[in-house]
Amino acid sequence: MLETRNLDKRFGAVHVTRNVSLKLERGERRVILGPNGAGKTTLFNLLVGELTPSSGSVLLAGEDVTALPVAKRARRGLSRSYQKNTLFDGLTVEENLGLAAAIHTGAGTRLWGDSLASPEVREIVAEVAEQVRLMPYLHAKVSEVSYGVRRQLEVGVALATRPLVLLMDEPTSGVGPEMAKGFHELLNDLPRDLTLLIIEHDMDLAFDVADTITVLNYGEVVFDGLPEEARGSKLLKEIYLGSWEDA
Amino acid sequence: MFQHSALRYTALILLAVGAFAQAVTAGYFGLEVLTEILLLAMLVLALDMVAGFGGMVSLCHGALMGVGAYAYAILTTKAGLAPPVALGGSIAVTGAAAWVIGAIGARAHGIYFIMATLAFGQMAYSYVFEAPFFGGDDGMGGIPRIDLSLIGLDLNDSRSFALFCLALLGAAYGAAVLILRSGLGRSLTGVMHNEQRMRALGLTVWRVKADVFGLSGMIAGLAGALAAQHVMYISPGLLAWTVSGEALVVVILGGLGTLVGPMIGAAAFVILKHEVSNVTSHWHLVVGVLLIAVVMSRANGLFGWIEARWGARLERRLSDMTRKSDAEEITTDA
Amino acid sequence: MSLDPGFWALQTLNALQLSMLLFLLSIGLTVIFGLMHFVNLAHGSLYALGAYVAAAAATVGGYWTGFFLAPVAVAGMGILLYGGLIKRMRKSGPMAQVLVTFGLIFALLDLTRIVWGDIALAIEVPSLLAGRVSLFGIDYPVYRLFIIALGLAIFAALAMVLKRTQIGAMIRAGVDNDAMAACLGINVERLFFIVFCVGCALAGLAGAVAAPLLSVTPDMGLQILIPTLIVIVIGGLGSLQGAIAGSLIFGFVQTFGAVLAPQLASVLIYALLAAVLVIRPMGLFPAKG
Repeated sequence: MLETRNLDKRFGAVHVTRNVSLKLERGERRVILGPNGAGKTTLFNLLVGELTPSSGSVLLAGEDVTALPVAKRARRGLSRSYQKNTLFDGLTVEENLGLAAAIHTGAGTRLWGDSLASPEVREIVAEVAEQVRLMPYLHAKVSEVSYGVRRQLEVGVALATRPLVLLMDEPTSGVGPEMAKGFHELLNDLPRDLTLLIIEHDMDLAFDVADTITVLNYGEVVFDGLPEEARGSKLLKEIYLGSWEDA
Repeated sequence: MFQHSALRYTALILLAVGAFAQAVTAGYFGLEVLTEILLLAMLVLALDMVAGFGGMVSLCHGALMGVGAYAYAILTTKAGLAPPVALGGSIAVTGAAAWVIGAIGARAHGIYFIMATLAFGQMAYSYVFEAPFFGGDDGMGGIPRIDLSLIGLDLNDSRSFALFCLALLGAAYGAAVLILRSGLGRSLTGVMHNEQRMRALGLTVWRVKADVFGLSGMIAGLAGALAAQHVMYISPGLLAWTVSGEALVVVILGGLGTLVGPMIGAAAFVILKHEVSNVTSHWHLVVGVLLIAVVMSRANGLFGWIEARWGARLERRLSDMTRKSDAEEITTDA
Repeated sequence: MSLDPGFWALQTLNALQLSMLLFLLSIGLTVIFGLMHFVNLAHGSLYALGAYVAAAAATVGGYWTGFFLAPVAVAGMGILLYGGLIKRMRKSGPMAQVLVTFGLIFALLDLTRIVWGDIALAIEVPSLLAGRVSLFGIDYPVYRLFIIALGLAIFAALAMVLKRTQIGAMIRAGVDNDAMAACLGINVERLFFIVFCVGCALAGLAGAVAAPLLSVTPDMGLQILIPTLIVIVIGGLGSLQGAIAGSLIFGFVQTFGAVLAPQLASVLIYALLAAVLVIRPMGLFPAKG
């Protein structure tokens, strides 16, 4: 579904992504682990097109999308949520979801008719609101809801474009352990055919969701395998205990 | 997101009734002032569409209005087109020009967007100023008004012309509301709130910006074509950046992003200008101090201030009233 | 059209003279922007104020009194503006700042009209700088050469201050990252204040040196504003190199455009600005990457 081939990114002398090759099958749920500064978010930015790689390629559903801009990749079914909430702050939860859904249905660029009132958009909004547990907050403004709800909306907005692949950058960043647990249940309830790539900080929580695990360190893939293998991996322990614990 | 509130409807009705009453009763001078207000209102309506709902603070809307005026003048006096055709043509030409400016400027933000639009506006101004074809510094005269004698209106009469402008302002307002409520308008508001996210969701941001800027330009072009008919003479001064600056001031004084507010601002601005000019020649000092005071007060202009103060109260009272009438119905039912 | 060497020399000097005048104005504006993210549209009005002060002082104490008094007086005005308006607008968005200074343009325009009237004032070139000298085979007014020299001198002085002195280092740090500069213990507010006053003084100086060349009118500030903004946007906001490069580009395009392609001259510079904004939206030498 989503594949990278020898993806490389340098900022001047700094080599932030080194020869990353990943392959996600349809419906696969993969968690990316790694210490701070391992290049996880950079990898996301390369995947969605917010950065262009120094070399290597990105394939979506078998087609090379490396040269496509962000918006075109998104329309082909690649969606992402951000580590730091990137929402439409002055608008309501419903409008946030509606704007995203309208882009997917095409109503968002039409001059005739209110996109937010179109039946297709309303249907998607209701469905996504259900999926990310936002029903009680639909008419509240983003500024009026709690941080945890905003994190749900962050994922909801990404889901409202009905993506094939959803990239989530630390969806539980900044929420307490209780809520994070709930969040992972929410992720587990998402449709099984949706391919998920998730950056996660907390290893134990990551194991709740992951089919497969990739570990990045210094921009390089140092582990790629099943959660059970990861749990026992010496290398992983070293990275986490060695560099993460002091950070 | 654009929405009509009870307060906005009230203000709209008051504005429409006031303008209509003025159009029916005023003498020659009053009608001139009214037409001036109506045309400025149309320009600031166009500007508020992009500035208030798209964050595209344009300093070329005055120039766009000028383009509309010159297009109308050229199409009628030089190309010999019938005035209604020329009106349509001038709207199309201005819309196209605005679309191009919007497309090129789409990448620029904040002060850079302001500068980019300023550059395009000044480019048009300098070109018209220099080119003999456009009459240069002397401008162009002999511009005909549209002939509506078929429906019994003589637009050469100032009262009929004022009513004509009022009707077209109403139409322009309706168009602006429809545009802002359309998918395109909603997406533009999304872009204003968070451009990066809209792009990440798959929106071709520059197209949306250019499209709405073009539509806004069409309204500015209509205002220009009417302004050319109003004075029947045009000069390059119409395109100067200070006209755009003044339009922006009116939008801010009225209330950015409220659509109704800038129109109230236009009325207040023109009336105040005439009143102050009777007393002193230092009109600019008054506007300058007023602008500074409004911006420093942090209110969203005159109408924004009214909305913040009374909008919620009015809504509550209205909902109380409907609830009460519902309650009465229930009791009578019982 | 004569294309002999004398023609080129003359136009080059004219272009340089215009560039240096614009440089004096744009450097203050651009550094204030780079440091404070504050676009002071009233910068041109301060220049007009400088010209008026110089003209008024010249009638009493001669040209040099005006030359030295104008920067001081305009810096004084800057102190008033800073304390009264700008300090309070520091936390507001760029839009609010643009609008407040736009209001200031209107207010200052009428204030100069109230104080000095609507009639254009003229000011004599001082006897020391009167006359012409022979240079590159042409006779060129000494006063215009003086402007070129003054501009270059101030450019050199500012480059020295920015590069070699402690306050220069603080300004560079502030332009680069003001939050970081504040963390390093730099008194950012005081730095803003100093830079703002120096910028105002330079605008006043520009007004004083321009006064004998142009007639001093209330709207001269409005007329110079657009060229100044073009200079800083082409050059890139916040940088000294940007201000000098933008000034030179504007001066040469304008001057040579006017003699070589008169029909296009006025459009040319705006087209150039539009092109820069499309190709390099942050200008040619932005202060930040």
